[in-house]
Amino acid sequence: MRLIMTGFRSRTLWAALLLACASAYSLQAKDLAPPAGIAPEKVADFVHAVLDADRTIYTNQVVNRMQAKGIVSAAEHWEHENALPLPAQFLQHSGKLVAESGRGIRYRLISLWPIYQRNAPTTDLERRALESFAQTPDRPFTGIVTSGRKQFFQAVYADRAISAACVKCHNSHPLSPKRDFALNDVIGGMTITIPLD
Amino acid sequence: MTITWRPFSNPLGWGLKRKLIVSMLLVGIVPLLLGLGLAFLQGSKEIQVVSGESFQALATEAARKLDLLVAEEVARTSRIATHPDIIRQLEHHRDLLQTADQKLSAAAITQLRTKWAERDPVAIKGITENRTALLLRGFYAGSQNESDLPLPQVVRAATRKLFITDVQGNLFAALTTTPSFSHTDSAWWAGAYNKGAGQLYIEDLHFDNQANTYVFSISLPIMDSLRYEVVGVLHRVIDAKEFFSPSTHPIRFGRTGHVMLIDSRGIVLSCPILPTGVQLSDPSLIPKVTGRQPGWVTADSDGHGGQGTAIIGYSLLPETSRATNGSVENGAWHTFVWQSSDELFAPIRSLMTWMMILALVALFLLATLGFFAASRIVTPVRRLQEAARLIGRGELQEPIHIHTGDELEDLAVEFNRMNKQLEASFAGLSTQVEEKTQEVQYLQKATDQVLDAVPTPIIMVDQQGLVQYMNRASREAIQEQAENWSSRPLFDLLPIDEEHRQALRRDLRLAEDGNALTPPRQAGEPMPKQARDPLNQSLGTAPSSSRRELRIGPHLYQYEWFPLESRSGAGKRFGLVLRDTTDESRLQDQLIQAEKSGSLDVLTAGIGHELNNPLFGILGLGEAIQEEADLDRAKGYAQDIVGHGRKMAAIIRDFTGVATRESKSQRIPVDVTAQLEQALAIVQTSHECLGLNVQKHYVPVSPVTALPDQLRLVFINVLTNAIQAMHGQGNLWLTTEEQDDLITIKIRDNGPGIPKQHLGKVFDPFYTTKGQGEGSGLGLTVAQRLIKKFGGEIRMESPPEGQGTTCVITLPADKAAVRKEEPCVSS
Repeated sequence: MRLIMTGFRSRTLWAALLLACASAYSLQAKDLAPPAGIAPEKVADFVHAVLDADRTIYTNQVVNRMQAKGIVSAAEHWEHENALPLPAQFLQHSGKLVAESGRGIRYRLISLWPIYQRNAPTTDLERRALESFAQTPDRPFTGIVTSGRKQFFQAVYADRAISAACVKCHNSHPLSPKRDFALNDVIGGMTITIPLD
Repeated sequence: MTITWRPFSNPLGWGLKRKLIVSMLLVGIVPLLLGLGLAFLQGSKEIQVVSGESFQALATEAARKLDLLVAEEVARTSRIATHPDIIRQLEHHRDLLQTADQKLSAAAITQLRTKWAERDPVAIKGITENRTALLLRGFYAGSQNESDLPLPQVVRAATRKLFITDVQGNLFAALTTTPSFSHTDSAWWAGAYNKGAGQLYIEDLHFDNQANTYVFSISLPIMDSLRYEVVGVLHRVIDAKEFFSPSTHPIRFGRTGHVMLIDSRGIVLSCPILPTGVQLSDPSLIPKVTGRQPGWVTADSDGHGGQGTAIIGYSLLPETSRATNGSVENGAWHTFVWQSSDELFAPIRSLMTWMMILALVALFLLATLGFFAASRIVTPVRRLQEAARLIGRGELQEPIHIHTGDELEDLAVEFNRMNKQLEASFAGLSTQVEEKTQEVQYLQKATDQVLDAVPTPIIMVDQQGLVQYMNRASREAIQEQAENWSSRPLFDLLPIDEEHRQALRRDLRLAEDGNALTPPRQAGEPMPKQARDPLNQSLGTAPSSSRRELRIGPHLYQYEWFPLESRSGAGKRFGLVLRDTTDESRLQDQLIQAEKSGSLDVLTAGIGHELNNPLFGILGLGEAIQEEADLDRAKGYAQDIVGHGRKMAAIIRDFTGVATRESKSQRIPVDVTAQLEQALAIVQTSHECLGLNVQKHYVPVSPVTALPDQLRLVFINVLTNAIQAMHGQGNLWLTTEEQDDLITIKIRDNGPGIPKQHLGKVFDPFYTTKGQGEGSGLGLTVAQRLIKKFGGEIRMESPPEGQGTTCVITLPADKAAVRKEEPCVSS
C-alpha cells in the first residue's frame, strides 16, 4: 500500500514538475522567437533561474521530505530500486527531454571531478569556466563556441552542493574522483547552450 | 500337573501379545515417520531458501560483473566516438550536407548508395579508406590506442562489424564492405541518434545474416565538439556468445550449477548449456525471472527443458539495461542462476535415504524388543488364563507360581486363594451329588421294576416317535420285535395295520398339540362299551378304527397317549398305555346279549300292555254287538271298534318305527320341507284334525344328509305329539330356516305346554303323559336318537303358563349335495 502510494505520489510530482518545466520553456521560446534583441546572456540567466528553482524545490520539498518521512528515498539506480532520481539526475534527465524536444536549447551538468566521464567538460570554454569558479563562483562564465560552421552561445553557472544528499553521494560513489566535498561547495557547473544561427 | 501351552485362539481378534507388539511398533513408527516427514519438508524448505538466497547473490554478482564488462566495452567504443579527428570530420560532413543544395546532395547520396551496393571500387575506397576509416582501423588494430587500453583480443575477435554513419544514417566509414549503406530505418540508428540529442543504444540479441551468428550491437552517438548534437553514429556489432562466454562460462558450481544471461524475452545470450539465441523452454517461467529487482523463485521447470522444482536466482544488469533498446522499459538483460534440482536436493535425499535405513533398523529393533517384552508380559498372563481354565474345570491341583513382582503376581496369589476356597466348597458338594445320584439311580431302578411289574404295556416315545422305553409287558406284547427296541420308530415296531397306525399317529399329534386326548366323536355316535339301549342296538355300530383300540395278535388293546415331563430343551416325550380289553369286550358282548334278551321281555310286556287295553275294548264291543239288536247302537259299537283299531295300528307303528332295522343304510340328501309336508299329511289322516289350523313358514333350504323314512318318522312323532296335545284343534306353526349351514325346523303348537319339571324327561324312553293306550312313550326318544344320528339336535321349549310347546330341530346342511339333489320319494 505504501509502495503504491509513493509510486503514485512520485508520478504525480513528476508530471507536475515536467509540466512546470515545459511551460517555462515555452514561455522562453516565445520570448526568443522574435529577434527583439534579447541578449543570449539574459536568456541563459532566465533558463538557469528556472532550472535552479525547479531542482531546489525537487530537492527540498520532494526528496528531502520523502526521505525524512521514510516513505521513499532517492538513489542512483532509481529505475529498479523503487526510488526517486537524485536531484542531479533530475536535472540531467530533464535536459535529455529538452534536447529530444528539438527546441535547440541544451543544458547539462559538468564537473572537473565527474563520476561518469561523459559529464566531463568537452570544450575549452567549459574547462576554463569550471576553473574560474574557484575564484568567482557567483559569476557565470559565458562565450561563443563553434562546431564546424555552427555557432553557439554557452553559459556555465557554478553548481553547489545544495543538500547533504549531494555531498554524501559524491563523497561515497566508487567512481567519484574527489571525496572531500562539503555542503555548499562548488561541485561543478551547469552549461546552457543556445544556438546562434 | 503340567500346564499345557495353547496359542491364543480367539477367531474374532488378536491376542494380547500381538496387540502389544503392534502398539509398540505404532508408538515407534508414527513419531518416526512424522519426524522424518517434517525433517524432509523442513530440510527441503531450508535448502530452497538457502540455495535461493545464494543463487540470488550469485546472480547479482554476476550481473554486476557482466554490467561492468558491457560498460567497459561501451567506454572503449566511446573512445572512438570522442576522438577529435572523427568528430571534426563528421562536423565537416554535416556542414557539407546542410549547406549543399538539398537536391544535388540527395542525388549524390543515391548514386553513392547504388555504387556501394554494386561494390564499385571508388565508392568502397571512399568509405573504407577515408581518414575516419583509417582511424577506425587503427583503433581496431590497437595502434591508435595511445593510452594503456588496447582492444583486448577477445573483444576484437567478437566484433563482427564496426562502422560509422553520418547524421542522415548513411554509411560514412567502415572497416569492411559488409555493412549496408543506409541505416535510417533501423532501430538502433533512430535510438542512438535520438532526435539529435543522442543516447547509448544497445540492441537486443538477433541473428545477423551477414555475420551468420547471434549478435547484439552497441550504438554510440558521436557528438559534436560541444556535445551539443549528434553528428554521426558509431555502430558496433558483437557476437554475443564469443563476447559473454569467457565471463559466464567459468562460473560453474556443482555438476549443473551455472550462470546464464537472458534478455527480457527469455532468449539466451550466453549459457554454458543452452545455445545462444534459443528461448527458455518454459515461457511461463520468463515473467518470474525478469523482475526489476534481484530475487529468486521456486519454479516448476528450470528453463533448460527439465521438469520438476527448480530454484532460480536472477538479477538485472542495471547499467546495461538502461540502454537496451533505448531504455529499461523496452527490454532488460538478466542473469539467471540455476542448478539442477536433482543435484540441489541430492544431499537431503541421501540424508533421507540414510534416515530411512536407520528407521528400518530402528523398526527391526523395536519389533524384536517388542516381541521379547510382549512375551515377558504375556507369558504369566497365559499361565493365569490356563489356570483359570483349569479352575473352571476343577482340575487345578498345583498352586500357580508367578514371580514377576507386579500385579500379575498378586493376581496369581488371588487365584490360588480362590482355588483353595473353591476346592473346599466343591468337596462338600460332590458328596451331596454322589448321594443324590445314587438316590436317582435307586428311584429309576424302582420305577423300572414297578413298570415291569405292571401287566399293562407302557411305551415312551420322543417327539419323532422313536421308542425310548418299553416295560416288560409291552416287550412281551410285541415279542417278535423285542430285540433292539431302543430308538426305533414305534410305528414300525407295532404289528398293526395301516388304519390303526394312522389313528395312533393322529392321536399322538393331538396329544402333542395339547388338545383333549379324547378325539372328537361324531355326534350321535353311542359311547362304546356303555350299557346299550336295547332298542338301539342297530344304530351302535361305529367302525372300530375310529375307536382308540388296536389289535396286536390275539389281544385287543385300548390305548391312551399322555405327555411326559421332559427336561427343558429336550423334545417332548409321550407315553402310550395299552390296556388289554380282550376279556373285557368278551364279557361285554355277553352282557349285551343278556341285555338284549332282557329288553325283549320288556318290549314284549310293553307291547302286550299297550295292545291289551284296546284289544279288550274291541273284544268287549264285539261281544256287545253280537248281543245288540239295535242296529244304530251296533254301529256305534263298531265305530268304537274302529277307533280302538286305529289306536292299535298307531301303537304298532310306533314300535316298528323304533325297532325296525333300517333297510337302507345309505344316507342321501333329503329335502326337509318335503318330508315335513309328507309327515303332516300322514298325521292328519290318522288323527281327527278338524279344528286344526296349520300355518306354514317355509324358506328354501339346503338338503340334509339323512335317511328319508327316518327323518319323516321324526316329524310324524313330533307332529303327533303336538296334535295330541291340542286334542286335534288349535294352531300349528311350521317353520324352516337356514343359517350358518344349519337348518332349523320349528314345530309349535298352542296346546297346554309341558310343565317345567317334565321338560327334562320328555326324551326318556317310555315317558308319557298320555293316557293308557294313547302313546307308547317312545316317540320323542326315537326322534332324538334319529336326529342325533344325523348330526343334529332336537330340543323342546315350553314357556311357562301354558303358551304351547315348540319343538326345535337343527340339522347340518349338506351344501355339497345341493346340486345333485334328487327328489325324495317316501317309501
